[in-house]
Amino acid sequence: MSAASTSSAVETVPAGTDLATLSKLARDRHAKYVLQVRITQFAVVAVLLGSWEYLSRIGVIDPFFFGSPLGIVERLYEWFRDGTAYGSLWYQIYVTMTEAFLGFLVGVVAGVVLGVALGEVPFLADVLQPFIKAINALPRIVMGSIFVMWLGLGLPSKVVLAALLVFFVVFFNAFQGVRGVDRNYVANARIMGASRLQVVWHVVIPSAMTWIIASLHVALGLAVIGAIVGEFLGAQYGLGLVIATAQNTFDANGVFGAMLLIGLLATGAEALMAIVEKRLLAWRPPASGESGARGI
Amino acid sequence: MSKVESRAGGVEFTGVTKRFVTPSGFAMTAIRDINLSVKPGEFCAIVGPTGCGKSTTLTLAAGLESASAGEVRVSGAPVKGITKGASFVFQTDALLPWKQVVDNVALGQLLKGTKKSVAREKARDWLNVVGLTGFENHYPHQLSGGMRKRVALAAALMNEPTMLLMDEPFSALDVQTRAIMSNELLTMWDKLKPSVLFVTHDLEEAIALADKVVVMTVGPGTVKAVFDIDLPRPRGPVQDIRFEPRFLELYHQIWLALREEVEHAYARSAQAGRGAAA
Repeated sequence: MSAASTSSAVETVPAGTDLATLSKLARDRHAKYVLQVRITQFAVVAVLLGSWEYLSRIGVIDPFFFGSPLGIVERLYEWFRDGTAYGSLWYQIYVTMTEAFLGFLVGVVAGVVLGVALGEVPFLADVLQPFIKAINALPRIVMGSIFVMWLGLGLPSKVVLAALLVFFVVFFNAFQGVRGVDRNYVANARIMGASRLQVVWHVVIPSAMTWIIASLHVALGLAVIGAIVGEFLGAQYGLGLVIATAQNTFDANGVFGAMLLIGLLATGAEALMAIVEKRLLAWRPPASGESGARGI
Repeated sequence: MSKVESRAGGVEFTGVTKRFVTPSGFAMTAIRDINLSVKPGEFCAIVGPTGCGKSTTLTLAAGLESASAGEVRVSGAPVKGITKGASFVFQTDALLPWKQVVDNVALGQLLKGTKKSVAREKARDWLNVVGLTGFENHYPHQLSGGMRKRVALAAALMNEPTMLLMDEPFSALDVQTRAIMSNELLTMWDKLKPSVLFVTHDLEEAIALADKVVVMTVGPGTVKAVFDIDLPRPRGPVQDIRFEPRFLELYHQIWLALREEVEHAYARSAQAGRGAAA
């Protein structure tokens, strides 16, 4: 992204300028560019929200259906101050996040374990393949209704739905990752005397980790979706229930407000995940173009 | 002599044939009726045209594959499962990219159940031997090709193999680095004296390093001729030995045997190319 910054502006530097001055010039130019990007981004948000607010005030867009930025802020403030119809907002956030987190955990563990097992045992993979494909083709979100019927309005039905959504993404990636392990690595470990389990632990799982981690980003989003949809379908607490209630009372600001909250929470979770990813994949060479060197 | 003979590591191929079944269901013979013996501590180079089954020979000795017919014996015992006491150096390095250099070298010991701290300590010593002190905590991708090869050598030798299998280990390196690595290999081989099966397509490299050069025929490969290399040891820098009259004489002799096979292989692949194009 930043590489393009310098190509547009042609600046002439007097011949004989020393390297220190040159690198300072380049650094300053880059800092200026980054600042410009930030200012423009801020301006875009300000214009969008400003015109939304303005147009709703003069009645061009109907605030009853479309809400308004200040209305959303006001609704969120009320929720934080007075709580929602189902108790404090913090508690709703806590419930939804717990469901999403547990679902994520269960789905990831099950996906990795089964993905690695099937990747390692071709017979198992060949037997189970058509069944897995069939289940994968079903609209799994509908299973949420069944889970609410089976497990009731509490936490378990949401956790199971989130886990089900997460499982398939992680499973397919883990399976693919295991199948793609470099045969040389395996041969080398075997010659060094590794047992089957040692090969899986030292070679197969770390090698598949790149694939598995790639799936975790999607999985995280799906875990939140699973929890929220589960709450739509039937719950006593949670942000999904808050949204469903807002919908039923034609409270557009409430729907947008809860949406904003969920978005912020998901972004936070995503940031945590980026840290975990960086630690787990520290061994990876930087991708080309990420080397950090800019032309000057 | 008796001391050498009593040591493990000798390799014996008796009438060994290996067939594979291709994914499309056709059986193909990779090597046929190979007879070959390598004494303990002997350095044996295998040369031959592309696709003649040089690498297959190594995988059979390592026990990664089993022979379709005939018998492979290592240290006097028939190969069954992975051969004990063998180390393998691959053409593309098989260092695990997610393990630091020191852990890559220590892996063999760890797998045997050595304590991690002990294995790492020993790995550091070996990294010192190959001149990589200070790079213990680097990841493989942070090293140059030559350095990675040294790590692979350290990892292979730390397990004190009685048999060292090398599959075109230096072919991906530039000429200068390759010469340096060849010298280092000879020095370390001299210390541990494992028997070596060294596959290469570089005849100069084969003669400069080995006690014995085996020329294989075009695939399905079998042993065409075996040449004893009577150049004295220690041989000194491999770059210099190439100019010695005896070296050139041997080179000429072996090349005559090898050339036929290389030309044959080339003609065959050219024909296959025309067949595919038609």
